[in-house]
Amino acid sequence: MRPTQLDRFKMKCKIYQVWRFVVLNLKILKAVDHSKRA
Amino acid sequence: MAKVVIIGAGFAGHTAAMYLGDAIGKEHDITVIHKFDIFGFVPSWVWLGIGAVKPEETTFKLKPVYDKFNVNFVQGTVTSVHPDENYVIVNQANSGGEASVEYDYLVVATGAHMNYDATPGLGPKKFTESICHLDSAIQARDSYLQLVEKMKRGERQRLVIGTGHPMAACQGAAFEYITNIHADLTQRGVRDKAELVYLTNEPAIGDFGVNGINVVKPGGRIARGGDLIDAAMDDFGIVKSIRRGVKEVDEKKIYWEDFEGNFGEDDYDFAMLIPQSRGVKFPFFDKNGEDISSKVTNPGGFVLADGIYGLSYDELVKTPDAWPANYQNPQYPNIFSAGIAFAPPGPISVPHVTKNGTSITPGAPRTGMISGVIGRVVALNIIDLIKEGRMTHHERMSEMLAVCIASNGKSLWNGSAIVMIIYPIVPDHTRYDNKEGRDLFVTRVERGLSGAWLKQMVETTFMHKFKGNIGWKYIPE
Repeated sequence: MRPTQLDRFKMKCKIYQVWRFVVLNLKILKAVDHSKRA
Repeated sequence: MAKVVIIGAGFAGHTAAMYLGDAIGKEHDITVIHKFDIFGFVPSWVWLGIGAVKPEETTFKLKPVYDKFNVNFVQGTVTSVHPDENYVIVNQANSGGEASVEYDYLVVATGAHMNYDATPGLGPKKFTESICHLDSAIQARDSYLQLVEKMKRGERQRLVIGTGHPMAACQGAAFEYITNIHADLTQRGVRDKAELVYLTNEPAIGDFGVNGINVVKPGGRIARGGDLIDAAMDDFGIVKSIRRGVKEVDEKKIYWEDFEGNFGEDDYDFAMLIPQSRGVKFPFFDKNGEDISSKVTNPGGFVLADGIYGLSYDELVKTPDAWPANYQNPQYPNIFSAGIAFAPPGPISVPHVTKNGTSITPGAPRTGMISGVIGRVVALNIIDLIKEGRMTHHERMSEMLAVCIASNGKSLWNGSAIVMIIYPIVPDHTRYDNKEGRDLFVTRVERGLSGAWLKQMVETTFMHKFKGNIGWKYIPE
């Protein structure tokens, strides 16, 4: 699925990107938590 | 007192050395043998290759770090391993003489040997550039900057970036290099003078040797992450030359065979092509002096571990437990392989053989993150064995997370990057009840400024960790 105009706006919107930065870190931490317990 | 020898101080070997030194360095003898006296942060060489960072920003001296961790450091090259008698022969860098180093546990973490010879004409000593080593990345930068000067004079140039062998891995690095070249040329005002071509052995854009990354979109729809990569390449005006295995390179042309078995060629002015990777270069000898490398490694030189080898691709897809868990060699249980050095049981991407019998299949990637995790698991198991006599840690690539961040420019204000979070790297259809065999909450492909921040954060925190600075252990691999 190719990015829409809205997706392209979001890629550059700094406030949205701050939110994504937090979310991506949380996703990584979820998987890393499993890894650290292995 | 146990003796642990680690061959190689890349992501896997260095991580193992830090964990071992921290836990048992004072009571036991930990030795790292590495060809160079520096650690190189390989992911930054994508930026080094366009002159966006200086070489010294991507490296640091190993010895001061190992002194902190009570780890011995020998700069040299291992020339042979003798697993029956538990010693390795090292050609030391400083004196130039050979020395024997004994071990109770051996960690082979040599990384990949870049096998340029597998493709005639390939490599920094021949016709193409490489960003796989520090010296070759510096050479690639110099060639690239000369090319920029030509473009400034109005000459049009053709840059081909991608894979230089039908079985090459590490497409992510090539993709990141070409997107950074696009950003850099745009910034220098000469982008219109360059034709950028991404030449790859992947079956589709966004495969990256992990069989693609499908993600869940709002509303529960499954989308192909590769489409986002594809769209980015269209935005950047990058020509896609996919499903092609490079067979030979000469001064002016790159010769390839495609999935359909057709042969073709591409002109180039500058080419950076990732070669086939091979495992260890040194042989293993038994007590009679007989070469037993074929019992310890696979034909590619990668050290056999506790995986299940010899399965067909279809069987391997259904058997996530075929991937090694503790990276212990079945023949010699005191030998472990970490990072790129271990032998994967097969590819993750769907293998393809052309009508001419050429296998064009992206190799299984083992990035810095994967190597670091394996280095930690191996180190913790050796600590277990020394202290308690049994191993308690395991992590297969079918249980492991990978984060790949392909930057497009280094700026934290108007830069961007494509972030690929893949969990697990090898799909596990027994654990995840979806077509992808992955955790679709975690698995993501995103493009935006947050990726540039994430890339900077990862680089800064990893370098902090690898220098053994305060809190290093709490920073994930």
